[in-house]
Amino acid sequence: MNGANRGRLFLENAAKAAAGTHSVSDTGELLSALGRVVAIDSPVYCPGVTALEKAVASIFPVRAADYTSAAVTVEEVFGAIAETGTLVCSSEGGRAVQAGLLPAHHVAIVRRDRIFDTLDDFFAAVCGAPPTNLTLVTGPSRTADIELTLAIGVHGPERLDIILV
Amino acid sequence: MNVLLFGTCLVDTFFPEAGEATVRLLRRFGAEPVFPKGQTCCGQPAFNAGYEEAARAAARRFLWEFDGDEPIVTPSGSCAAMVKHHYPLLFRDAPELFAKAKRAGERIYELTQFLVRVARAHEAGLRGKGTVTYHASCHLTRTLGVREEPLKLLSSLKGATFLPMPDADRCCGFGGTFMAKLPEVSCALADEKAASIEATGADTVTGCDSGCLMNISDALRRRGTTIRVAHIAQLLAEGL
Amino acid sequence: MSPGQTSLAFRENTVLALKDPALRAAMRQATDTFGTKRADAFAPVAGLEALRDRASAIREDVLSNLPMYVERFVASATRAGAVVHRANDAATAREIIRKILAGRGARRIVKGKSMVSEEVDLNSRLEAAGMEVVETDLGEYIIQMEGETPSHIIVPAIHKNRRQVGRLFADRLGVPFSDDPQVLTKIARKALREKFLSADAGISGANFAAADTGSLVLFTNEGNGRMVTTVPPLHVAILSIEKMIPSLTDLPAFIRLLPRSATGQPITSYVSVLTGPRKAGDATGAKELHIVLLDNGRTEILAGESRDILKCIRCGACMNVCPVYRAVGGHAYGWTYPGPMGIVLTTLLTGMKESHPLVDASTLCGACVDVCPVRVPLVDLILGLRRRKVREGFAHPAERRGMEAFGKVAASPALFGLGQRLAGAFWPVVRALGGKDVAGRMPAPAKTPLRRRLP
Repeated sequence: MNGANRGRLFLENAAKAAAGTHSVSDTGELLSALGRVVAIDSPVYCPGVTALEKAVASIFPVRAADYTSAAVTVEEVFGAIAETGTLVCSSEGGRAVQAGLLPAHHVAIVRRDRIFDTLDDFFAAVCGAPPTNLTLVTGPSRTADIELTLAIGVHGPERLDIILV
Repeated sequence: MNVLLFGTCLVDTFFPEAGEATVRLLRRFGAEPVFPKGQTCCGQPAFNAGYEEAARAAARRFLWEFDGDEPIVTPSGSCAAMVKHHYPLLFRDAPELFAKAKRAGERIYELTQFLVRVARAHEAGLRGKGTVTYHASCHLTRTLGVREEPLKLLSSLKGATFLPMPDADRCCGFGGTFMAKLPEVSCALADEKAASIEATGADTVTGCDSGCLMNISDALRRRGTTIRVAHIAQLLAEGL
Repeated sequence: MSPGQTSLAFRENTVLALKDPALRAAMRQATDTFGTKRADAFAPVAGLEALRDRASAIREDVLSNLPMYVERFVASATRAGAVVHRANDAATAREIIRKILAGRGARRIVKGKSMVSEEVDLNSRLEAAGMEVVETDLGEYIIQMEGETPSHIIVPAIHKNRRQVGRLFADRLGVPFSDDPQVLTKIARKALREKFLSADAGISGANFAAADTGSLVLFTNEGNGRMVTTVPPLHVAILSIEKMIPSLTDLPAFIRLLPRSATGQPITSYVSVLTGPRKAGDATGAKELHIVLLDNGRTEILAGESRDILKCIRCGACMNVCPVYRAVGGHAYGWTYPGPMGIVLTTLLTGMKESHPLVDASTLCGACVDVCPVRVPLVDLILGLRRRKVREGFAHPAERRGMEAFGKVAASPALFGLGQRLAGAFWPVVRALGGKDVAGRMPAPAKTPLRRRLP
C-alpha cells in the first residue's frame, strides 16, 4: 500500500470508530486543525516533548499542569495501524499513556510515516521487546452494557480527534 | 434403481403417511424403494442421551438391515445425520462394523438431498397450492449441510407460494430427549417457533424432520392456530 | 463445588426464568441484536474460515504444549519485573491475592471485569478482610450494586433493562431517575472516577498472556481496564493458565475474531499490551505487578476427553446464539459461565455431582458450533459429558431402565413391532403415565404403522 492510501485507509477506519479525523500537510495546517478541535478556554495538557508537540504547545491559552486536571490532552502518539483505524500509544521514552485516558477529550497527532498497514506488521515490529505499556486505541471509550445500547464516553475519553501530519 | 427406505421410528409409528408419500415420490422419480422389514430405530434417542451401548444395539440392527450397496433414503435429516456422523464413532473398536458404518454413511441420503441431487425433482414441475413456509431443522441444516434442497423443491411448486420464515433455522425446541428433560423450555422454544410461523401468514408449514413437526404441531395446537403441518414428503407427493 | 452454585436446580431455575417477562424480553432483544451485529461485522471479512482455522490451530498448539508455554511466560514475565504466582485452586488464589493486598495495606481496590475472579469468588474474600472492592466495568458495577452475579460473560447486566438500571442508580446513588443509557453511563463515569484516582490497588483479568514476552493482553472498551491496570500503584492480574498464546505475533488473528464474535465490533476501543510493571524511565504503569496464574482443575481437564473446551477465548458468541440461553438467561445455569461453553466448563470445573443437570441444557442444535471463532466442538463435548454422566451414575434410574429397554427393542424387530402395537393400544395409559410433558405433546400412534402398510 502506498503512503497516501495508507493514510486515507487509516483515517477512514478511525472515523468508522467515531474518531474525529483530520489530515494536514504542515505545521500551519496542524495549528489550524488544533484551533478547530480544541475549545479555546479548555485546560489543555500537552507534554511538549516531541518536535511536533513543541511546535504546537504554545497556542493553547490555558495549560493544565498535568493530565489529571486537563479537559483535553494534545499529544503526539507512537504510530497507527491502517487496517483497523487504530492509534498506538506507547510508554517508551517516558511517555505517560494515561495522558490520553483521563481527560474527556484526547487529541492525537500522528505522523504519516508511522502508520503500519496491518496488525501483523505492527506486532511483528514490536514483539521482540515491547515497552511496559502499548495501548491500541480505536475511537473514544464506549459501552453497550445497558440494553446493548451504544453509549460513547465511559471512563476513558468521550471524544477522540486524530490529526494526521 | 433400487433404494433402501429407512422409515425412521417416528414416521413408522406416528406419521406413516409421510412414509407412504416418500414411497410415491421415490417411485415417481425412478427409484424403487425397498423397505427392509426388520428396521427399527437409528438409535439417536439413546445416543443423544449418553447411552452408547443402547445406541450401538440399535445401530447394529440398522447396519444389518441396510447392508449392501444401494442408496439408503430416509425422510429425516436427524436420522441421516446420526448414521453419517455418529455411527463410525460408535464402532471405533469394531473394524468390520466400522467399515459398514462408514459405507452406510456414504450411501445414505435425506429425502430432499436425494430428490434434488439425484432425481432433479425440483425441475420436474411439481404442483402445489396455497402458501407454504419452511422450518429448517437443526441436524439437517448444520450437520448434513442441507440448506438449499428443500428450498429449491418448495419454490418449484407451481401454484404454491413460498413464504420464508424469519429465523427459519432457529431450533424449535424438540431436541429429542430435550423435550422430555426440559419440557418448559422446550415448549417456550416451540411457542416462539409457532409465532414465527404464524407471522408469515402461510396456511401450511413444512419441514424435513417429523420430530420437529410434531413439536411444532403441538405448539400451534396450544395456541389455537389452524395452520396445517405437513412433512415435505406429503406436500410434494400431493403435487404429483 | 462452589458456594452459591445452583446448577443442580437448573430445571427449576428455567421455570422461574420463563415466568419473568422482563427477563425474557431483555434476552430476546439482546440475542437478536448480537446476532445481527455479529453477522454484519463478519460480512465484509474475506477468508473467515481460514481465520478461524488459524485461531483454532494456535489454540491447539497452546493446549498441546501448555506446561511449556506457562513456564516460558513465567520466565518472561519475571524478567520483565512482574512477580508471578501459581495458584492450584480457588482458595489458594484468593489467599495469595488477599496477602499481597493486605501486605501493602490496600483498603480500596478497583476491579476490571474478570470471569476468573468470579470463578474463585475473590470479592467476598477480600471484603471479608475489610477491603472495599469496587467493580468498575459498567455492567459489573450495576450487578455489584444490585448484589447479583453476572448473567453473561461479556455483558454482565444484559438481563436488566434501562428502567431497572435507572431505578437502581436513583435508589443507591441518590441521583434523579433517568432511563437514558447515555445519562446513566455519565453517572457511572462520575461516580467511579474518584475511586480510580484514590485506589490503592487495581485487579484485572487478562484476555491473553503472551509467553514469549510475558505480556498480558486486555481487550476493553470503557477505559476502566486501562485505569485499573495503570493508575493505582499496585496491579494484580489473575488469569487461568489456558489463556496463553505463544507470541504477540499471534494476536492479530484474535483481534480480528474476538471483538466481532463478542459484540460485532471490528476491534475493541482498547487493546492493552502490558509487559511488566513501571521501569526506570517509565511514566506509565503500576509500580508493582503481580500475576496470579490459576489452575483450578485445568491441568486435569487438559488430560481428559473434554480438553478442547480449553480452546475457548471467552467471546460469548456461543451463548448469543443458543436457543436455551436466549429463553432463560444466564442465571439459570447457576454458576459463573452460562450458555454452551458454560455447560461444559461448569461441569468440568465444579464436578458432575454439582452440575449434571447442565449437560441436558442443550437441544444439540449446533448453532454454537457454527459461530465459535476457535472451533471448540461444543456439541461433541456436551455429548461426551452426557456419556460421562451416565457412566458415573448420575442418570435418573428410570431413564437408565428406559434406555436399556430401548436398546433391546431397537435391536429386535419383533420387540419393536410389539412395542408399536402396545403403545398404540394403550396410548391413553402411556399418556397418563408418561405425563403431559412428553406423551401429551405427541399424537397417538397410527392405527397401522408404516411397516404394515408396505409390502
